[in-house]
Amino acid sequence: MEFENDKERSGLVSRSKIKKANLRRNQYTISLLNEGLRAGLLTGQEVYRIQAGLMGILQDLIRRYTQGESSSVTSETAESIMASLLYAVDAYTLQFINPDQAVTELKTGNIRNIYEQGLELLRRLFEETKQLYQEVKKNKLDVPVDAYNMTIDESLPIFMKKYGIVFDAHNTMASIDYPLAVDDMRLQGVFYIRQYLERLQMETRFCRRFDRRDLLDLLTDYGKVCRFDYRIELFNIFELVLNNAIFSILSGGDAGQIRISANQYNRLQRMFSRLNASQIAAAIHQAMERLQHEMKTDPPLTDYMNQCRNNLIQRVINAANHDSLETVIIREKEVKTKSIVLLLNEADRMSDVRLRRLLDEMMRLETKEEKVQLIRDYFSSLHDYLDLLDSGCLYGDEYEALFATFGDMELAIFAKIVFYEELRADFLDFQSIVAAGKDDESEWKMHYVEFMQKLSDDRINAIGNLISDIDYEEIRFY
Amino acid sequence: MYLSRIFNAINISVQEKYMTEILELNEKTKEFGLILTPDEVKNMMVARNKVLRDYGRVELGIEVTKELIEIFSESPYIHEDNYAATLTELHEIFYYLRNETEDKIGDFKLISMMKEMFDGECAGSVELLKSRLEEFAENFRSESLRESLFEGED
Repeated sequence: MEFENDKERSGLVSRSKIKKANLRRNQYTISLLNEGLRAGLLTGQEVYRIQAGLMGILQDLIRRYTQGESSSVTSETAESIMASLLYAVDAYTLQFINPDQAVTELKTGNIRNIYEQGLELLRRLFEETKQLYQEVKKNKLDVPVDAYNMTIDESLPIFMKKYGIVFDAHNTMASIDYPLAVDDMRLQGVFYIRQYLERLQMETRFCRRFDRRDLLDLLTDYGKVCRFDYRIELFNIFELVLNNAIFSILSGGDAGQIRISANQYNRLQRMFSRLNASQIAAAIHQAMERLQHEMKTDPPLTDYMNQCRNNLIQRVINAANHDSLETVIIREKEVKTKSIVLLLNEADRMSDVRLRRLLDEMMRLETKEEKVQLIRDYFSSLHDYLDLLDSGCLYGDEYEALFATFGDMELAIFAKIVFYEELRADFLDFQSIVAAGKDDESEWKMHYVEFMQKLSDDRINAIGNLISDIDYEEIRFY
Repeated sequence: MYLSRIFNAINISVQEKYMTEILELNEKTKEFGLILTPDEVKNMMVARNKVLRDYGRVELGIEVTKELIEIFSESPYIHEDNYAATLTELHEIFYYLRNETEDKIGDFKLISMMKEMFDGECAGSVELLKSRLEEFAENFRSESLRESLFEGED
């Protein structure tokens, strides 16, 4: 449990009658009342007086909520307002390190004053959180990771705009997609967002200390290892950077480095296969300490990094046992020269008017050969092909006739789109993925799968090999 | 859950207070020859609490009950022998309407509207009032749905 301010650090902690294990971070005051009653610090009469006081506040809030128009609300609304009210009271009671002290406050204080002071605390906390958000926004990493960017540019502003300390204090309001390395999801409302921002800021500051080009390459290499488009996936950048910085140290590189060369990788692989679990743990411990020392990390960051340590140790031990270290240690991939240049540029897309005209023209043609000919003559960019396929202008075997004119590379690109989930999910080979097929409501995708399943094994394997050469950066999915 | 337990506990404790407040209204309604006995008030409150529970609503205080008594006691269609029973039914109608109009109409306006229909086209028939207000609620809902579509709410 996390206690925010240490307003009161009493020596009575050891003699406390309250069992901290019985207290809950959410609905803290309620658990205090129950526990206070159990421990004999409060009488039933006193708990009743506090509850009646809360009800009185609730009654006023309901009137404020309906703007005096109605004296009743639905149970859901009442519960939500009550939760918001208790959230403010929790803000007050949580500031006492010693729960006995919080109980005494509830017992002797005026509940309305306590509520007002709780609101004031929330108001200040919310203001601080807004400030913090501005800082995070200003120092944002320049990386093409959608979840990261959208969380900072879109989700968090929604929270800042919509959050209300009177009726919605307990609501987190915005859906925060970008995952932190360590997150305490038990928190709600402004407590949660403040914590989220503090950690995000710490993570961002850490990542900023590495070379930007190295960071971007790391992301690209990570996407290749996982066979997904890192830009649209949910993963934590900090953890990736931290892990590679540790691996850099372990393989004789610098603390401020995240590039792992093929040589370094081999060295790490030899090392980890030699060590047993506790030796791996010790090595990572040591490397983490050196990293912290050389980067002169401050206590909060040091603590945060240590929280990530065990997870990394576990992953390395597992990967070493399963001979899959390449999924944990992201090494530099050589840049292949691309032999085929595809027309995937958004700018090459034809205008909507032209597309519609071509589709109309195609609908008037009678045979599938004519239709396919028209498509091959006029369609060149991937976007146009996707528009055409999604338009549903083709029927039955016309799909097959079209796919039959495609070369391996073109089929590989479509495979990357149709089997996106399957390709990233595990390390199944492409042939098994095609054989397994898939259920998709999209007509053209079903036809594509059927078409692929009829191809020879050799051809499927040839297409499968091409898939790994396609760079996701070339394909925009939406 | 925890909350409804508290609500109930609080309700029991203020029952006495509510009873006194309602009985005090007899002073006003006496001029129309309408008096509620303590037993009638008790039964009415039991029925009201049940209606609130059934419709999933929370009301702290008894403003609505007092308003219903004050406004409807003036109706020419309410007599001493149907007074308590009508009040109980009016509670049911009121909270039904409150839910169905999605809390968009204030207490006072809803009660005034009920009274107007009751005295006017319904000529004192609670049954008729019920069906008229059902129609009203339906129209109101489709109207507000249209409005929200029109405004393109998210």
